Amino acid sequence: MQNSFFIKKKENSNADAFNSGTKKSCETVSFEPKIIGFLCNWCSYAGADKAGTAQKPYPPNVSVIRVMCSGRIDPQFILDAFQKGADGVMVLACHPGDCHYKEGNYRAVQRYRLLLKLLKQFGIEAERCRFDYVSAGEGDRFVSVINETVKAVKKLGPLKR
Amino acid sequence: MKTAVYFCNCGSNISEKINPEIVENTVKMNNPGIVFKSYGFLCSEEGKEFLKKDIEDSGVNALVISACSPRDHEKTFMNVLTSAGLNPYMMQMINVREQVAWVTEDKDRAAEKAINYINAAISRVNLQEPLENKEIDVSPNAVVVGAGPAGLKTALSLAEAGRKVTIVEKSPFIGGLPVRYEEIFPNMECGPCMLEPIMGDALHGNSSENIEFLTLSEIDGVVGSYGNFTVKIKRSPRYVDIEKCIGCAECIEPCPVSSGNPFNCGINKRKAVDFSFVGALPNVPYINAEDCIRLNNKFKNGDVLCRSCIDACPVGEDVFKFDEKEEILERNVGSIILATGSDLYDCAKIPSLGYGKISDVYNSMEFERILASNGPTEGKIKTSGGKEPRSFAIVHCVGSLDENHKEYCSGICCEYAFKFNHIIRNKIPSATIYHLYKEMVIPGKENAGLYKHAAEDSNTYFIRINDINGITVKEEGDKKFFYIDGAEKISVDAVILCPASVPGKDTGKLAGILETSLDKNGFFEELHSRTDAGRSKIKGIYVAGSCHSPMDIKEAMSEGIGATGYVLSGLVQGKKLSIDPITAVVDSEKCSGCKVCISVCPYKAISFNEEKEISIINELLCQGCGTCAAACPSAVIKANGFTNEEIFAEIHAILA
Ligand code: FES
Repeated sequence: MQNSFFIKKKENSNADAFNSGTKKSCETVSFEPKIIGFLCNWCSYAGADKAGTAQKPYPPNVSVIRVMCSGRIDPQFILDAFQKGADGVMVLACHPGDCHYKEGNYRAVQRYRLLLKLLKQFGIEAERCRFDYVSAGEGDRFVSVINETVKAVKKLGPLKR
Repeated sequence: MKTAVYFCNCGSNISEKINPEIVENTVKMNNPGIVFKSYGFLCSEEGKEFLKKDIEDSGVNALVISACSPRDHEKTFMNVLTSAGLNPYMMQMINVREQVAWVTEDKDRAAEKAINYINAAISRVNLQEPLENKEIDVSPNAVVVGAGPAGLKTALSLAEAGRKVTIVEKSPFIGGLPVRYEEIFPNMECGPCMLEPIMGDALHGNSSENIEFLTLSEIDGVVGSYGNFTVKIKRSPRYVDIEKCIGCAECIEPCPVSSGNPFNCGINKRKAVDFSFVGALPNVPYINAEDCIRLNNKFKNGDVLCRSCIDACPVGEDVFKFDEKEEILERNVGSIILATGSDLYDCAKIPSLGYGKISDVYNSMEFERILASNGPTEGKIKTSGGKEPRSFAIVHCVGSLDENHKEYCSGICCEYAFKFNHIIRNKIPSATIYHLYKEMVIPGKENAGLYKHAAEDSNTYFIRINDINGITVKEEGDKKFFYIDGAEKISVDAVILCPASVPGKDTGKLAGILETSLDKNGFFEELHSRTDAGRSKIKGIYVAGSCHSPMDIKEAMSEGIGATGYVLSGLVQGKKLSIDPITAVVDSEKCSGCKVCISVCPYKAISFNEEKEISIINELLCQGCGTCAAACPSAVIKANGFTNEEIFAEIHAILA
């Protein structure tokens, strides 16, 4: 039952991305994007837990990195993720006015807007980088944000590097 | 570093979806030398015992716990680490139950994701450093600013709990606004009588030695932070010795000068030495330095200094302290409670109402004083012409619910408007009363009674208005006329305006000194408007009463108790304050002094050291959000628990 994907591969992702990019038509069918989701501890991470307790299934493509607040998310983290093989990145925060630290989500959204301009320069589509708000109660919303993002990134195909 | 992974099966909640053996084999293959153990219920008593023993026996020094959400059991496992002699921050917990097993349909992909998370946690935990809770000495005592209902209640409750409290009150008396009201809604109690037991206890009760009253005083500066504030207080001279004066009032009559009494809204006069009003506590007059001819070195009779008050005093010359100077006092306290109260919106800002121009147009405070037996008319309602008014217009919602003035409803004006109705009806049974209102708001289980009286009264009329600007008050002879939307004309003898509650006029100045923030209406801003409405944004500075939102006396009193609770639970006498290590730290060697971090910190936890030209984070105030770390252009702020290196390691391992 040892599948190859269980083995930590060092140089695979770039090659894969390159291949799938060139052989788009046949690869996109089985393309499973890698997406990093930065979630703030107080609302969106709790929202993800809520989806879990409700046992609402969603695709496993998004790997969550927990931070205390969306304000902690340095745009460098996002750039680094794209550089190291992510096909998409999500930043989920508390709704405006709800940030546990008052205004971290305002900083986060400001940084996100600036970053989008930069991503455009790098040729990374805006749809690959999503910013959204999910509250602790919004398990369903968390699931739909994940579904939408996975779908959008799948449609774009692997990020060519 | 010896790292171990503990994989909780959570009964079968996790292992049903994710086969622990596959995970173990792959994780071991990916991370040679790793210790891997799975267990049924790691959070159970046996599970915790197993974990503790295993940590001790195997000598691991970094742990990955693959289980449920850290929001559930992070603290549980941190405590196990501590009991096993490990630093509790040498652990990374991953959420395989809520965020993988329960939500991933495909078993292979669930296992793949769990393995990926474990690999990321291993590379992260290997970079983690032990973090220590710090402990600091704190003062359990407090400064309360404002001696109204909220401030008095806070001070008295803290004093009863054995805390030392300094009350800083800018006026010469205590009690705030209610001691100036003859009667109070909803039960028509006498205002001063209602506060009397609290004021009495605070001044002379069993715990009164714990309370220091500083009247005629204001906050002049504050340094330090939660647990250790040094508060500078500026005390203006009263010129009368509070300890020696017996409050007999003999000095007042002979005093040769007088001017408008600010505590009666200038309606009557007070002598240069006088009480604020009859019954004001402390029961000691004060000398208005601007009026007193002795203090101004003006001579009344030839070159003899005025000594009318001194000569009249039965106690002796040294009751008066004409050489008293403004003083700066310092108090070291752990907490500061702001209970500075509110004011009334300036009715002159709606010129058509004639306030300040037309006689017998009063705001509600002026009318309260007219109704008060210790007020300028000794409780008699008279027009400026000296006659008893036959008809009144009471205008609600003055400046409230109005985007050109104040958008909010103060929630107390309708109630006192119906109180006025009740008192007028008792004093002048045949009076005609009109209520002009935009919205009627009378919440609360006790408060509808006065409204009911008014509604059932045959000589009280209700007129709903759309826009306060539609009302014009004009004076013709000694009659006032109301025009509503230019048409309806109603004649009345007196007009009472019930304006919006607004922040007290020194709120902005005080906020500047304390560096606490104001909301868009100028009230003190709460840390959280629902869950922490008693805390300001600055740790250790609390807000109680109408200084942060309009409210009635009952709410203000409850808030005083609320503030007391914050102080008592936050700073316990004889106990050190423990500081959570999840804070940010500036690398003082590398900081370039750009101050970007200072501008983004929501807690004003970062200050600038001018000498060294670097930012310094006060770990007591830092809440660990990490915004500064993300903003630092030189990447030299370390967010403990969430460092750049740790997060990059996670990203890289996930994408490997
Ligand atoms: S804590 Fe959720 S965005 Fe700040």
